[in-house]
This record gives sequence, structure tokens and C-alpha cells, in this order.
Amino acid sequence: MTLRRGLLIIGLLTPGLGLILALIGTVVYIAVSQSFGFYSLNGISEFSTEFWSKMVGRKIFKRSIQYSIYIGVLSAIFSVALAYPLAIWLRKPFAGSNLIGAILKAPLLVHGLVAAFLFVNVISYHGILNQFMQWLGIWSEPRRLQNDPNAYSVLILQTWKNMPFALLLLTGAVQSISDDVLDAARDLGAGKWDRFRRVIAPLTISSMQAAMVIIFIGAVADFSFQVIAGPTNKQSLSQLMVSFKGRGDWHSAAVVGVSLMVIALVGSAILAAVARIIMRGRIK
Amino acid sequence: MTIEQLNKILLISLLLVCAIWLIIPFTMAVLWSLVDPSEPWTADKVLPPVISLYRWVDMWENSSLKSALIASYTLAPSAALLSLLLAMPTSFALGRLEFPGRELAKMLCLLPLVVPAFITAIFFTSLLYQVGLSSWRPGAILFAHAILFMPFAIRIMTVSFEQVRQDHIDAARNLGASHWARFRVAYLPALKPGIFATLLIVFIQSIEEFAIAFIVGSPDIVTIPTLLYAALGQDYVRPNAAVLSLILVVPNVILMLILERLLRSANPTLSSGKG
Repeated sequence: MTLRRGLLIIGLLTPGLGLILALIGTVVYIAVSQSFGFYSLNGISEFSTEFWSKMVGRKIFKRSIQYSIYIGVLSAIFSVALAYPLAIWLRKPFAGSNLIGAILKAPLLVHGLVAAFLFVNVISYHGILNQFMQWLGIWSEPRRLQNDPNAYSVLILQTWKNMPFALLLLTGAVQSISDDVLDAARDLGAGKWDRFRRVIAPLTISSMQAAMVIIFIGAVADFSFQVIAGPTNKQSLSQLMVSFKGRGDWHSAAVVGVSLMVIALVGSAILAAVARIIMRGRIK
Repeated sequence: MTIEQLNKILLISLLLVCAIWLIIPFTMAVLWSLVDPSEPWTADKVLPPVISLYRWVDMWENSSLKSALIASYTLAPSAALLSLLLAMPTSFALGRLEFPGRELAKMLCLLPLVVPAFITAIFFTSLLYQVGLSSWRPGAILFAHAILFMPFAIRIMTVSFEQVRQDHIDAARNLGASHWARFRVAYLPALKPGIFATLLIVFIQSIEEFAIAFIVGSPDIVTIPTLLYAALGQDYVRPNAAVLSLILVVPNVILMLILERLLRSANPTLSSGKG
């Protein structure tokens, strides 16, 4: 490669990739620096681990970490677990399969905030679900379902929003498995379950990992579902970070932000690895 | 039981689930948006007692809805255009030139999708304060949107550039076409669907984007998502929230359907993945 060509390629990459790297790089750099006391907006800027040591000792921080991981991991698992059977079912086109695909993909088109509103509207104290259960006679009086302490609402919303995305990735992967392979497995006497764990699972694992990781990162950093439908006594990491920033405590916000990035990164790696190990274990 | 029967049963049960999943929530939202304030919709009534468009008119006249619509619908096309223009050279390099590290460059382009939006939003704001541009909010949001949604633009345009056929370019060159004429006859026809798809997807992403608009823009700039967020939180009035939800969701569903049509031939995973 000549120097001229090298310069040309760098020149071409600068406005696109260059700006992306500059923006994301600066954002991460500022977050890390602020978590160690630099770039102070309302005090002296000097190196200090005080913000980290103070934050680590806080109960609210520990609870936020546990809660965000709980939401992230379960949302990823539920979405993928629901999407797998649907993707296999829709592998071959049949009458109505396009319609089903479209309906299942519909949540992709609905904004998260709108989804949260629709859901809260349905489960509210005098909402249609409460009325229906009373009408059936199962519940004698309306129940308080909104902002439930176990965050089932948030998990339902995350799964509703993310399952179509997992389905999209998995459908592509499942459809690329040729009939010959599955027929061969059938000829060798493999039942449905065996065909899944020995043929489909290993051949679709990279799409499954991709879906898991992307959903996990989105859900672990959730803000809007948590604020609108989540438990009021717990805070997600994003929510905690926003509340620190709102109080002008940029350094604490940075500590939470950097922790969130590390958790998203490490968590994704662990999830991807665990998914692979489980699938490998099954292949034996 | 045959496979067909099984499929039929599965189909019916699934449609039932979807009715619960989609039709009921949206019907409730439409009904709530039509509740007339003269008589409240209490739990003992199946349908709202008085139906009117009062809430829609009221929201239009007495809330920041108008300015939010203007903000969102100026921001989104500008972000789409800027994102497309910035993505073009990189996509050309990734799609048509061989160079070491090309795969790595493709991976790095996806970076904005991996960093959580609220982290980008908060520390981008911090950056704006550091460099003294904190009053430059509309420009900052536009800039951030154009860059954060560039991964979509680069992915789609790279595939489009790959699809331009070398023999068309060569033929145009043999016939003595200038740079611009070659671009027009050989590149443009192959790039067109990609250009439309890029504009549309960045437009939709920008209309829906919440974190940047909320953190960077507050309190001066109101977009539709930030207005809806406020309507769901500090000033929660259910019929108003219903009106806003419908205003946010309906145009986007139509745009998404157009996008799906545009991308039908292309890989569907390129066009999805919003949160």
C-alpha cells in the first residue's frame, strides 16, 4: 500500500469512523476522568479515589448494581428463550406465517415509552386487567400491580420489546440451516429435542450470543421502563447516574457510569461464554 | 394430529395472545385519548361516558406539543441528512477499497450501539460544559444524533457500495464519462435504495431518541419523547399521555412499514435493533 493510498483511506474514514471514535472515545475518557476527580465542573480538579471509595460503601449503589444485573440477565434469557421456539416454528413458510412474523415484530415499531404507558394503562388499579379479574371472580377487589417490588412489570416490558429483536436474529440463523442437515439427523433417529440440541443449537449459537449480548446491554442500562413501571424502592444504575447528575454531583455520576460500562462489558462476555459452554455441554 | 392442524391451533392461540398484547393496549390508549373531561371515565363503566376530541385540541393548543413536533421534525431530517453525508466516504472505503484492518474498522463503526445511551448523553453534556458549548443545545443534539446513528448509515451504505458493479463503472469510464457522470450512471442507481433506507432509519431513530434529547436538551428543548416522558411522570394525566403516545407511535409505524418495503431485498437485521 502506497503512502498516498493510505492517506486516501484515512481521509475517507475520518468523517465517519473518525467522528464516531472521537465522540465515543471522548465520552468514555471524560467519564473515567471525572470518576477520579478530574474535569471538575464545580470545584478543584485533582486526582482522587474518594468518589470511588465513598460510592462503593453506599448501600444504594450495591442495590442498584444487583438490581440492574437482575433485570439485564433475566430480560436477555427470557427474550431468547421465547424467541427460539418461535423462530424454529417459523422456519418454513406456511399459510399465515408472514402475518405472524409481522405481528411478532410489531413491538419493534413501538417506542419504549409508549410501550410503558400502554402497559401501565392496562395494569393500573382501575385498569382493564383488574376489572377483568374481578369480573371473572378470581380477585375480589382490585390489586395494586403497578411498580411491583419484584420488577415483574419491567421484565415483562423488556421481554415484550426485545423478544422480536432476538426473533429477527434467530429466524435468520435458523432459516439458513438446510433441510438436508435436519433430514439427515431425523434419518439417524434424532427426535425433536435431539435435533434442537445437536443440530439447531450449535448452528445458531453465534446469533443467539449476539441477541443475548445486545439485549443484556440494553436492559442493564434501562432507564425509562424502570422510572415508569419499576419498583419505587429500587433504582437502576442509569437512574442512579441521572439522579446524581441532576444534583450536580458529576463525579459520583461518573463512578456509576463507569461501573455500568464495566458491568455491561464483563456481563456480556460472561453471558456469551456461559451460553457457549451450555450449548457445548449439550453437544457431547 | 397433523402438522397443519397443529399449526392452525398454534396460529389461533398466537393471534389471541397478540390481541391481548397489541389490540387491547392500543384500544385502551385510543379510548383514553377520547375521554371528555366533563365526565370522568370511572371503573364501573365499560366505555368512556362522553367521547370528544377535546384532549387532542387541548393538547394542541395549550401544551408544548406544537414546539415539540417542530423540534422533532426539524431535528430528525437534519440528523438523517448529516448522518448520510458523514457516512458516505467511510462506506465507500469499507465497501469498495481493500485495506488492512477493514474488518476491524467495520466493527469499530458499531461502537455507539454498545455504549449505553445515558452514559453517552451525560458525559457528552459534561464535555459540552468543559468546552463551553453548553448553550449550543440544538446543534449538540443534532451532532450527537448524526454520529450515534451513523452505524446504521455506514452498515447500509457499505452494503450498497458493495453492490455497485465494477463492469458498469468500467463501461462508463471506457465511454469517456467524467467523475460526476460515472457516479450518476454507475453508482447512483445501485445506491438509491440504500440512501432512502439510511435517511428513513436515521429519521425514525432520531424521532424516537430519548436519552440525548432528555439529558442534553433539558430544560430548553422539548421533543416528542421528552414531552411524553414528562406526561408520564411529573404531570401524569392519563388522557394526555394517551394522546402523546398515539402521536409518537402512529407516524413511526407507517414510516417503518415503508422502510421494511425498501429493505425487503436486503438483510433485515441491518434495519432493526432500536431500544
